[in-house]
Amino acid sequence: MMSLAMATENENLKIVQVWHGGKFQKRLQEMGIYKDSQIKVIKNDIPGPLIVDVKGSRLIIGRGQAQKIMVEGE
Amino acid sequence: MDKIKIALAGNPNVGKSTLFNRWTGMRQHVGNWPGKTVEKKEGSFKYDQYGMEVIDLPGNYSLTAYSVEEVVSRDYIVGEKPDVIVNIIDAANLERNLYLTVQMMELGANLVLALNMNKFAREKGLKINKKQLSELLGVPVIEIEAVDDTGSEKLLQTIVKVSKSPNVVLDRLEYGNEVSEHTKQLEKIIDQDIPQLDAPSSWIALKLMEEDPEIIKKIEETGKGQRVLKEIKKIQRHFNDVFGDDADAAITDARYGFIAGLVSESVKKPKIDKVTRSDLIDRVVTHKYLGIPIFLLIMWLTFQITFTLGDPLGGYVEEAFAWLGETIAASMGEGFLTSFIVDGIIGGVGGVLVFVPLIFILFLILSILEDSGYLARAAFVMDRFMHKLVGLHGKSFIPMILGFGCAVPGIMATRTLENERDRLLTMLIVPFMSCSARLPVYALIVAAFFSAYQGWVIFSLYLLGIVVAIIVAAIFKKTIFKGMSAPFVMELPPYRLPTAKGALIHMWERGALFLKKAGTIILALSVVIWALSSLPVGVEYGSQESVTGQIGTVLSPIFAPLGFGEWQATVAIIYGFLAKEVVVSTFGTLYGIDGDGGGEEASDEEVSANETASVEQVSNEASGEQVSGETAVEEASAEEEETAPEEDPGYIAVMQELFTPLSAYAYMVFVLLYIPCLATLAAIRRETNSWKWPAFAAVYTFVVAYVVSFVVYQGGLIMGFA
Repeated sequence: MMSLAMATENENLKIVQVWHGGKFQKRLQEMGIYKDSQIKVIKNDIPGPLIVDVKGSRLIIGRGQAQKIMVEGE
Repeated sequence: MDKIKIALAGNPNVGKSTLFNRWTGMRQHVGNWPGKTVEKKEGSFKYDQYGMEVIDLPGNYSLTAYSVEEVVSRDYIVGEKPDVIVNIIDAANLERNLYLTVQMMELGANLVLALNMNKFAREKGLKINKKQLSELLGVPVIEIEAVDDTGSEKLLQTIVKVSKSPNVVLDRLEYGNEVSEHTKQLEKIIDQDIPQLDAPSSWIALKLMEEDPEIIKKIEETGKGQRVLKEIKKIQRHFNDVFGDDADAAITDARYGFIAGLVSESVKKPKIDKVTRSDLIDRVVTHKYLGIPIFLLIMWLTFQITFTLGDPLGGYVEEAFAWLGETIAASMGEGFLTSFIVDGIIGGVGGVLVFVPLIFILFLILSILEDSGYLARAAFVMDRFMHKLVGLHGKSFIPMILGFGCAVPGIMATRTLENERDRLLTMLIVPFMSCSARLPVYALIVAAFFSAYQGWVIFSLYLLGIVVAIIVAAIFKKTIFKGMSAPFVMELPPYRLPTAKGALIHMWERGALFLKKAGTIILALSVVIWALSSLPVGVEYGSQESVTGQIGTVLSPIFAPLGFGEWQATVAIIYGFLAKEVVVSTFGTLYGIDGDGGGEEASDEEVSANETASVEQVSNEASGEQVSGETAVEEASAEEEETAPEEDPGYIAVMQELFTPLSAYAYMVFVLLYIPCLATLAAIRRETNSWKWPAFAAVYTFVVAYVVSFVVYQGGLIMGFA
């Protein structure tokens, strides 16, 4: 298990835990990021935000936010 | 005639506005970034024997209100109950899009699904079985392309049909035993205790389990919700005990589970994800090191192209107005009315209209950038930068780029920012983005002093605007807007090839606003400025003794340390507060457009002015400046200083008389940074609902402008520039 911010590019991952609360957790859910969903990092240049693939759509997510999303390899 | 009320709903950036425009013929702003439609728009059209009333809702991902524009959509769907909701879906992104669909089904909405962007879906290798999907959902599914007429007729037929016999969708949703059991339980209590609610009780039950604050408040307000709310607490505890998660998460899971089931039965996906063209482009455009240089290059090219194409076209407009002024002056003779028309109206409005080609080209390029999807990339690229330096995230950068066109839509676009603090801060820095109204001022000055480097000089001003915005934001973030910025998540839309028609419409709708402004506000202000320049009765028009001259003279010492203490320059800045183009029209009314006034002398002067300009363009700048410099010297010796406008050999000489290259640059810097125009302040007032922020914006931008111009001018003097 590691944070999304540490993930390597183009690896299929599963979300294990989302350490966000309240409204932002909801927003992530709506956009397809929630526990047990699949995710793939498309771009992970440090520093800066990440580009991820979720259910076929591309999302930009801030690095700080990605650090609170725990994933594991499939 | 029967009326059908249709609402267009869907995720951001799926083509709602495009379809809306196609149907109603309205030219609504369509771009390729999430969150363009910040307010709902209404329009109507006739189909068959029906009057169709269409509402274009801002995009949302869910019916759980998260940001301002999502509340608009939800309130409309829940409160107004349109006859039919057309849910537009990005076929390439079916699964995520269906999340909203499912939530509208929970509401018992009468839905029609319109699958848009099928081309992208095919490019991704997706095969969607519409019939299967439609049967599973109990909702008609129509394939359309919002950009052309594909599927439009069929969609309309279906809308009419569905408006007569609404779909029943509530029983289609299957959320698994755990969630269903609890909602049923809750539903029963709601039906018993509070039966008069205006939404299905099953929906209320779900929302309560999701802890939706608005719905909880509504239940509390009825005064009969004690039993319901107690039950909710019990359910929450149960979910926490059994799953270690709240009910909310379980419901999300259940929805996505239901959708996954739908998709697996109706969509064929390729085994390996295809690498799309968008991804290939993004490898370069969002590259770690290339991203920012590419952004700068694109901005530089934008202004370079704008000037290369716009300048000669503007010259024609200028000639036309000069000719018009001369003709009127020649046929009417000298007098009060002639001065009013030639100096006031043609000088003021014409002075601004000269820049119409320039502004239209700028708008066209910005439209293409926006439609292509590049703006979202710019937000990504700038996030790294903005985050570290400013503590704002990249999403704040989109309003800033829109500010290059006009600050007002930029300020409106801050609505997509969820955090109120970030939103305010972004609003305060958007006016530093050099808007199209400032372009005429630069163009005027650049032509007189920097014609060989015009692209670079203008680019430097745009860059300076961004730099000042970032510095100011960083300072504010550490002082008045302390605190964490909102978490950042945003959709990155695929690149789309902008259509010529789309980009032209887009350009026109923004350009038309500029023309309208020239025809109304600028016209009115020109008249006022002309009057102030003619009064008190008996003074020479536009002389230092006129009201205008006196205002300028009194205030000019303030600006002397910045290098432009001449009263004309000062008064142009004062009037320019109303709208920045007015800086140019002030010069226009004071000096006339090009060689104005009467008789042969004027046309001679015009020729010489034109010659000067072309010499400057062809050969090196220095000799050009010398030629016109001589003209200015000759003139100055022939007349008293600040002579009557009739004798002036056009703008270029006038500018060269008023400024040195250094003070001209300091002047442009001041115009770039100082007090936002009235329309912008009004927009800030509207968005913040208080006078405090626009007042603050006016004061602090003045200080910033003064300080930066001072540094530029005095620093320049020390470094030996003149």
